[in-house]
Amino acid sequence: MHMKRLLQGVSVTAALALGLTACGGGDGDTAAAADGSYVVTAHNTEPQNGLIPTNTNEVGGGRVVDLLYTGLYSYAEDGSLQPELAESVESEDNITWTVKIKPGTTFSNGEEVTAQSFVDAWNYGADSDNAQKSQYFFETIKGYEESDANGADTLSGLTVVDDHTFTVELQGPESDFPMRLGYSAYMPLPTVAFEDMQAFGEAPVTNGPYTLAENGWQHNVQIELVPNEDYEGPREPANGGITFKIYDSFESAYADLQSGNLDVLGEMPPNALQNYQDDFPERNTSRAYAGNATMVIPGYLEEFQGEAGQLRRKAISMAIDRQQIIDQIFFGTKEVATEFTAPVIEGYNPDIPGSEVLEHNPEEAKKLWEQANEISPWPEGKVLKYTSNIDGAGNKEYITAIVNQLRSNLGIEAELDAVTTFKEMRDKVGQDALEGLSRAGWQGDYPSLYNFLGPLYATGASSNDGRYSNPEFDAKLLEGLEAGSVEEGAAIFNEAQEILFQDLPVVPLWYQAAQAAWSENVDDVVLGWDGKPLYHQITGK
Amino acid sequence: MPDTQHTTVPGASEAPSTPRTGKISKRRIEHFVAPLEETPLQAVDSVREDSEPLGFWAESWRNLRRQPLFIVSSVLIVLVILVAAFPQWFTSVDPRSCPLEFARMGPQPGHPLGFTYQGCDIFARVIYGAQSSVVVGLFTTIGVVLIGGVMGALAGYYGGWLDAVLARLGDIFFALPLILGAIVIMQLPAFRESRSVWTVVMTLVIFGWPQVARITRGAVIEARNADYVTAARSLGLSKFGALVRHVLPNSLAPVIVVASISLGTYIVAEATLSFLGIGLPASVVSWGNDISSAQISVRNDPHILFWPALALSITVLSFIMLGDALRDALDPKSRKA
Repeated sequence: MHMKRLLQGVSVTAALALGLTACGGGDGDTAAAADGSYVVTAHNTEPQNGLIPTNTNEVGGGRVVDLLYTGLYSYAEDGSLQPELAESVESEDNITWTVKIKPGTTFSNGEEVTAQSFVDAWNYGADSDNAQKSQYFFETIKGYEESDANGADTLSGLTVVDDHTFTVELQGPESDFPMRLGYSAYMPLPTVAFEDMQAFGEAPVTNGPYTLAENGWQHNVQIELVPNEDYEGPREPANGGITFKIYDSFESAYADLQSGNLDVLGEMPPNALQNYQDDFPERNTSRAYAGNATMVIPGYLEEFQGEAGQLRRKAISMAIDRQQIIDQIFFGTKEVATEFTAPVIEGYNPDIPGSEVLEHNPEEAKKLWEQANEISPWPEGKVLKYTSNIDGAGNKEYITAIVNQLRSNLGIEAELDAVTTFKEMRDKVGQDALEGLSRAGWQGDYPSLYNFLGPLYATGASSNDGRYSNPEFDAKLLEGLEAGSVEEGAAIFNEAQEILFQDLPVVPLWYQAAQAAWSENVDDVVLGWDGKPLYHQITGK
Repeated sequence: MPDTQHTTVPGASEAPSTPRTGKISKRRIEHFVAPLEETPLQAVDSVREDSEPLGFWAESWRNLRRQPLFIVSSVLIVLVILVAAFPQWFTSVDPRSCPLEFARMGPQPGHPLGFTYQGCDIFARVIYGAQSSVVVGLFTTIGVVLIGGVMGALAGYYGGWLDAVLARLGDIFFALPLILGAIVIMQLPAFRESRSVWTVVMTLVIFGWPQVARITRGAVIEARNADYVTAARSLGLSKFGALVRHVLPNSLAPVIVVASISLGTYIVAEATLSFLGIGLPASVVSWGNDISSAQISVRNDPHILFWPALALSITVLSFIMLGDALRDALDPKSRKA
């Protein structure tokens, strides 16, 4: 009896609670939206170019292109591959890959997506005549040199076998080749695209989870996407469409978000880092993504060569209190780096031997710096310059903090060498004109350790800012590429990182994290491995 | 004055004793002259003939030192110059030592104004920041007065084609807005590579001299036709000699006024350029740089922005007030009432 009454009590409370939740969740005019018809408004910047996959390498266009197109794979929230159109991508020798695609999928004009759709699109992207921004993604495919040098229009490594099969022959072995294939540069294009690519970029015919609404792209105002009824795949839209509102400044987007005129903001302006959690309680998130920040110490600077140079590199690394900078400058929105890649990538290992050089240890740093001076003295009165563009959010603030720490911990003169624009800084880097340290960072194109090592530290690589060159390291990279599986490859890449810890061509600082906040109208906002919100999952409340 | 003394006043006081013929005016005219017995003539108009007459500068100085505006502004300016010259007298904290653990904290013992975004002591930075502002303001003014003064004096004094050329040259520079022109110049590789106090001074001089040149030219034209110049010339003084000995000293007053007012605006211009990130290099402690880097903390820690901005405002205000006071003293014609 007593028991029964107790139970009754419980059930009444539970019912009450349910009722309350229902009220909280379903109030007002948005109640009807929970069925998936709510149109989400999201922040974006104006895409630099037309919405062509191989010509989009900036975030503003990337957010849209990712939703409009579907390729062989897409990346799940954790960065793992999820098949979209791929039935299988296989290889015996990691050089020649056979790609089988699912039959029966179509573009929004009814054209079937075939092997030819992929091969034509890739050939177009690789051909230097078309000057596509993502051309370099095809550089490992055989025939790239010929099509790059204005000659061939097609890649000799791409062969169509039948309607749903094609082969890719690479210049060398690459065990994680399939990992690349979720990147937007590898999307298929319908034949109509090649008739007039520029017009196509304004109103593309696509096969992704969303399509562009009719006259959906009003330049500098908004881009309207509607769900694609024909899409079948892992990225099924959970909302009634996405309208990207285009902003010039994050500050105004933030203000719109506060006033409810915007639903999702996927990046925080630096002056809001301190406040966004209070301004949007329970409606914000922060997540480490596959990107890092580093400090380049160019190999062509005399002071940083040889044994003394090695000691100085270590001293600089140990003189920086990374956690304090993250806490005080970034308000805890980053994570201290423990190696050269990023934590969300398969094979990431925070305990690589040699990584203790990244720990803050001012006494040891000072000692190492003095040891270096005994070998070859630091030039009298020389100021250690730290070059950085200051048009990027937070650059000036964190580099000023590092410079202050170097000054007090090493007892040297150090200062920020501010460069106005990103382009100017890249020019300086490209001409080997750095006079000291320089800011660098890398955002993964695809979730692979190699993508964080090869293009940055291999001899002569495209983004090897410090002109680092170590044959031992190059050999390890090649060994990793030739490995039989991604796991084996990762183990070898991590061995390669041990060499980097000895040489410190760059000093890893921290891993990037993205912050997002959203309005009371939406729910289920999740950031992906690349720090972008997974827009298709967002629901109306 | 003398006129009124001798005017005979018709009307009330002299009632007609003899009948007058013709039309007699009934109009009463008010008169404003006090009766003679109330204001003894000698007491007011007597001149002490034994005292030395005051020169122009002495006369101005006497006017000046009685003005409260001048007293307040000069006290402030002396203070600012002292701070700029001997910052170590006012604080013992190193403005460039910025322990991050103190970032954005409020006032602490020994740190009366709190800390910046980077954890530097705000008081020390405000004190040490005075130097670059004062140096830029002072040297820009000197440069502007030298170049503008020479150009304006030559143009105004010799006239003719020299005037046409120099005046048009000045007009060209005058047409360019100071800040806009400075932004362009500071972006030139030669300037950008070697940014320092001196590049800022040079840029500001390039765009500041025409104003002084115009004023000097006007003053020189006014003075060159004066009788004393003609007299000096007819006594055998060379044309150039007359310019240096007589015309220039008599044209200085408006130049001094303009120079002291613009000193303040040059300090603002320096702060503006530094704020935009193209003025002084970030490693130089200056109010403009500090205001620039305080932008990020406006919402959460406005005090970081407040103090350097206050120091800048007070300094600029004092130079402008000084200019006003000088104008009142040096240019009596402009004085109102």
